[in-house]
Amino acid sequence: MKKILGITFGGLQKKAVILVVIVMLLSAAMFVAVTAYQNNTLVKVVAETRTEQQKAISESSDATMRKVVENSLVSSTALQANLADNDFAEIIGWTRTLQTMAQGVLENKGSLSQIPVGLPDPALDGVSSAYVLCEEGVDPSRSEYLGYIAHLSTPMIAMHGNSDKIDSCYIGLCDGTDLCVDEKSAGKLDESGRPIPFPVRERPWYVGAMERGDLYFTGITVDAFTHELLITCAAPVTADGEAVGVVGIDVILDGVSDFIANSAEGNKAYVVNDRGEVILGPDKGGVFEINVQSEAADLRESGNAELASFVRKALEEPTGLVTVTIRGKAYYMVGTPMPTVGWAVLNVVDKERTEQAEKLLLAEYDRINDEASESFRRETAKTNRFGIILLFGAFVIGLAGALFAVNRMVKPIRQMTESIVECGRSGKPFEMQDRFRTNDEIEVLAESFDDLFRKIERYIRDITDITAEKERISTELSLATRIQADMLPNIFPAFPDRDEFDIYATMDPAKEVGGDFYDFFLIDDDHLGVVIADVSGKGIPAALFMMGSKILVQNYAMTGLSPARVLEKVNDQICANNREQMFVTVWLGILELSTGKLTCANAGHEYPVLKTPGGRFELYRDKHGFVIGGMENMRYAEYEITLAPGAKLFLYTDGVPEATDTEGALFGTERMLEALNAGSDDPPMEILRKVRAGVDGFVGEAEQFDDLTMVCLAYLGKGGA
Amino acid sequence: MNIEMIRNGRSAVITVDGRLDTMTSPEFEKYLNENIEGIDELTVDCEKLKYVSSAGLRVLLSAHKRMSAVGGMKLVNVSEIVNEVFEITRFSDILNIE
Repeated sequence: MKKILGITFGGLQKKAVILVVIVMLLSAAMFVAVTAYQNNTLVKVVAETRTEQQKAISESSDATMRKVVENSLVSSTALQANLADNDFAEIIGWTRTLQTMAQGVLENKGSLSQIPVGLPDPALDGVSSAYVLCEEGVDPSRSEYLGYIAHLSTPMIAMHGNSDKIDSCYIGLCDGTDLCVDEKSAGKLDESGRPIPFPVRERPWYVGAMERGDLYFTGITVDAFTHELLITCAAPVTADGEAVGVVGIDVILDGVSDFIANSAEGNKAYVVNDRGEVILGPDKGGVFEINVQSEAADLRESGNAELASFVRKALEEPTGLVTVTIRGKAYYMVGTPMPTVGWAVLNVVDKERTEQAEKLLLAEYDRINDEASESFRRETAKTNRFGIILLFGAFVIGLAGALFAVNRMVKPIRQMTESIVECGRSGKPFEMQDRFRTNDEIEVLAESFDDLFRKIERYIRDITDITAEKERISTELSLATRIQADMLPNIFPAFPDRDEFDIYATMDPAKEVGGDFYDFFLIDDDHLGVVIADVSGKGIPAALFMMGSKILVQNYAMTGLSPARVLEKVNDQICANNREQMFVTVWLGILELSTGKLTCANAGHEYPVLKTPGGRFELYRDKHGFVIGGMENMRYAEYEITLAPGAKLFLYTDGVPEATDTEGALFGTERMLEALNAGSDDPPMEILRKVRAGVDGFVGEAEQFDDLTMVCLAYLGKGGA
Repeated sequence: MNIEMIRNGRSAVITVDGRLDTMTSPEFEKYLNENIEGIDELTVDCEKLKYVSSAGLRVLLSAHKRMSAVGGMKLVNVSEIVNEVFEITRFSDILNIE
């Protein structure tokens, strides 16, 4: 583990830091993803909204503008048509009046006198005056009708004076004369003051009215004298069923339709006559250019089908708003017929102009949108920068915090680990320290370690104590073993100065101390007491009980009592105070050394084994009494055996026949007798060694359960063998 | 060693299976102390009893004395080997062996 700035890297620390880094990176990635998504979505929404709004504005604006244009244009066109129609109706009225008057004069010429008409008088220029104009070579004085028509001079001057729309009024006659009333008499004379010839019957109005035979409006014509453009309203005059002339009124176009002259760029008004010719309009050039009749185009037959159709319709009925495209440019057009004259007023609006408001609105909207978008982009960029800085800051702070926190967390663990490792090395116990008191699992862990080490310490102390105690007990037991062994006669030969008998005995306790015992002692010079006994149970309780029993048996035997009496006394003595209900089997024999008479008593012990001289060892099934310590007041029977010199007595405890091999089989008395008879003539010590060898060979590896005690007495008789 | 007891009112039959020696006798003694309270007549079935050592004899004697004060204790189905032990030690004179 590396150590940087006092912070250790690696181990838990590394893992925790990695975890923190991963969590932070994930959150950063999430933040970036969410931000990017939001930005994208917003940008998209803004763009979509923009398109939609533009479309909506465009559509609504288009519809609205169209509506507005339609409303205003339709009504104004109707109004204009009405006005223009009125104007021309007035002209027609005058024309009809003039026609009626002329016919009236000619029909009544019989009752009228001819009056002369003067030539144009330049002095009267500027005021209304009547004068005659003639075709080249025509003499007005010869005219058949002029003298009568001249009566109309005064009404014509009045008519001319009354109407501001009449430029001039005249009556052209079929004889090439013409009665004219206007304010431009000077213009009718040449430089020398002679009247300029006037081709009456060639003028369009004359020709038109004559051809039609009824009221006739010329198209745009050029004035014969002033060369100004004008329109003439004419009507034929008949006399006696024959057309003899035409009345005409020149219309001052300026006065007819101010609205047309005033129509401005963007909204222009035109008047189209019944021949589809534009007769009034502001244009110079273009489709709606005004031309003299001979050159004027018939719009009804225009190559532009939309326009032709529109004009045709306008001459018949109000068209409503119609969109017509002329040379790639869209126009709103409205046409309304002028019923009196059979013409139509057209209003034409450049559609682009009506859309200017919408365009301005869209442009403004775009500008606002662009500004907003730009502002949004700027702000977003700023936010992103700030977010990244914030993220980075959070990352650094988080990392530092994690390092610090984890270090704080890990430090006690590391210290504890070091402490525990140190404890393991030095053997000193781990101790709770304040630095481990972290109020969390570490504290619990430290406390557990503290507790564990205390317990181990206590356990070690206990083990030490127990071991010491065990050692002490072991020492005491081995001491007890020696004491117990020393309590029994164990120095052989036991009676080196006696040659009447040989005795040998062994005791091998299953544990350190046993419950078996043997004993032999000289009661007097001629009597040898021999005891073998087996206390119930083993170990220390049996050993203690055995010690008491041994002393009691010897003590009573030494008083000279017979074996049975000895056992009875001992039994009573033991039963008097035997709460543990221990008992002991005892075989006691007293041998009279001089005679070989053996007096015996058996308190529940194994049968003795006897060998007569020259014979074999055999079980002696004696009379038994109950074990000592079992019941009070027991009576024991005695029996006598006479040992011949050379006879042998073998005594044993149940450890011998009940020695068990690994299979659980008992050694048994048969094998015991075999072992005895294998060397029946051997001295006692050798016999016991052989039996022991037999038992060991049989038992093998099996554990010795019971104490193993044997006594062998060889009676040799007086004087020894 | 296995010990089983079938109780029938104030009498009971105890079956001892195995050896009754120094190692197992304390267990038998403990079992008797805990289970023969309130029993007047106790039968010890020795059919499966393979061996009795002096320690086992002590426990049997103890039980015999205790049962004698209330009702009695008898041993049944005693095997030859076990009986020999009883004979040698003369427990056969004290215990009720059937």
